[in-house]
Amino acid sequence: MKTADWLLDDALAPSTKDEQLGELYRGAARGELVLPFCAACDLALELEQVVCDGCGAAGPVWRQASPHGRVHSVTVVHRLEPGLVRTRDPYPVADIELAGGHRLVLAPLEPGTAPPAIGDTVSIGFRRIGDTAVPSFRSEVFPPSKESR
Amino acid sequence: MSREPAITGLGQTAMSVRPGGTASALAVEAVAAALADAGVTHSEVDGLLVGSSQGVRPDRLGVGLAQQAGFGDLRLLEHVEIKGATTVAMIERARYAIRSGMARTVVCVFADAPIRARGGAGSTYAHSGGTSGTRGLERASGVLGSVPTYALLAARWLAVTGGRPDDLCEVALAARAWAVHNPDAVQREPLGAADYHASPMVSAPLRRLDCARPVNGAAAVVLAAGADGIRIRGTGREHPVRRRRAGAESWFGGGRRAVEDALGEAGLARADLDVLELYDPFTIVTLCLLEEYGFCEPGKAGSLVASGATAPGGDLPTNTGGGQLSGFYLQGMTPLVEAIIQLRGAGGDRQVPGARTALVGGIGGRLDHHACLILEAS
Repeated sequence: MKTADWLLDDALAPSTKDEQLGELYRGAARGELVLPFCAACDLALELEQVVCDGCGAAGPVWRQASPHGRVHSVTVVHRLEPGLVRTRDPYPVADIELAGGHRLVLAPLEPGTAPPAIGDTVSIGFRRIGDTAVPSFRSEVFPPSKESR
Repeated sequence: MSREPAITGLGQTAMSVRPGGTASALAVEAVAAALADAGVTHSEVDGLLVGSSQGVRPDRLGVGLAQQAGFGDLRLLEHVEIKGATTVAMIERARYAIRSGMARTVVCVFADAPIRARGGAGSTYAHSGGTSGTRGLERASGVLGSVPTYALLAARWLAVTGGRPDDLCEVALAARAWAVHNPDAVQREPLGAADYHASPMVSAPLRRLDCARPVNGAAAVVLAAGADGIRIRGTGREHPVRRRRAGAESWFGGGRRAVEDALGEAGLARADLDVLELYDPFTIVTLCLLEEYGFCEPGKAGSLVASGATAPGGDLPTNTGGGQLSGFYLQGMTPLVEAIIQLRGAGGDRQVPGARTALVGGIGGRLDHHACLILEAS
């Protein structure tokens, strides 16, 4: 049975056929964090990057990456846009440094997640918006290592 | 006759925080005002550069404005797009076109109309961006509009520099202190720290008063060869092409080269500048740019602003019309318009006495693109 996302309306669901991030969403549907690496030197590439800035090789390979990381920065969003945001409470968003070298800006997996602090460890899980699985973070430090708003 | 260009005309619409006007209609009005100010006719214009709000909106301004605004045979017509650095880039583009002989009289215009009858600008931005690519993933993570992104940048900046959230308040108060004396500013009521702290949080640590006030409006300038007007003494660019990777900063440490190249061309030092007009969509950006452009030591921007140096009466007058924060948010036109007003001595009660040189800064993206101008009074 399909259940609605706790955070966002289905209108914000990306497509698993997304031209740039389709591999990520198809991996997410399998419960895997799949991200782009340089085929030649294995450098972590940005999601829309085609040519490696380290070695100049073209053509990323998308493969499973470690689902662990640390918080680079964090905010708590208080503006709840009607029609797009489902939760009635402010929600954290974290910019995460992943162990494999990537950075992703993600929402919490579960409602009611306390905002983590910069440097806290997190792991990646997947929540569903419409028919699309989307990577999200789960805090691994309880309580967060310092007070965040 | 000299081909060296000068800024000879400035035109603005009223800056409205209410729905009304399309971007193209506002642009036409600003262009007409700029031509009248410069004392030139449509038939003398042989170049038009158009800047629009980024993002795919059906009403965004484009080169079709040439037809709408009644221009004829043009030698230069472009839609320039490097996000918030676009206005400075248009001035650079016009300058080189005039110097090369490609055109003699060039109009640069920017217009935006994000405020609509069925929702404010925040709602317009929240609904913009689509579901594809990296932006689509960010939006699927609850990053709607640009405030959460700059909130992440602000939180990181405060953590890295040891800055205080109250530093953001000081920037908002200084901007408002200037705007009180600017009849074009959309927020002119005097502001105190208590008012700032009562302002609703949008995305921590950014409150509503940390964010620029979008408007429906337009501004246009005219550049002409060999004419008497504000001189463009130097320009500089820096596009760091940042990489977002674990273990490194990805927002900070760009822009100084753009300032130093512009100053180098002008043969001036920072101490020679009479006013700074910086791109300030959020209070955090003013702090970042004061440091990154070399106007204070690293980690000292908060105390610099708190000292009153950037506020009216200070020795580093910054964003003297209230900036985008309290003045009006017309992207790169906001700092350019204020620099022209100051260098014309037309700033009324906010005029910086004797202002003859100005730095105009434009940034695009997430501090990804920096473009600077050094302007000098005629």
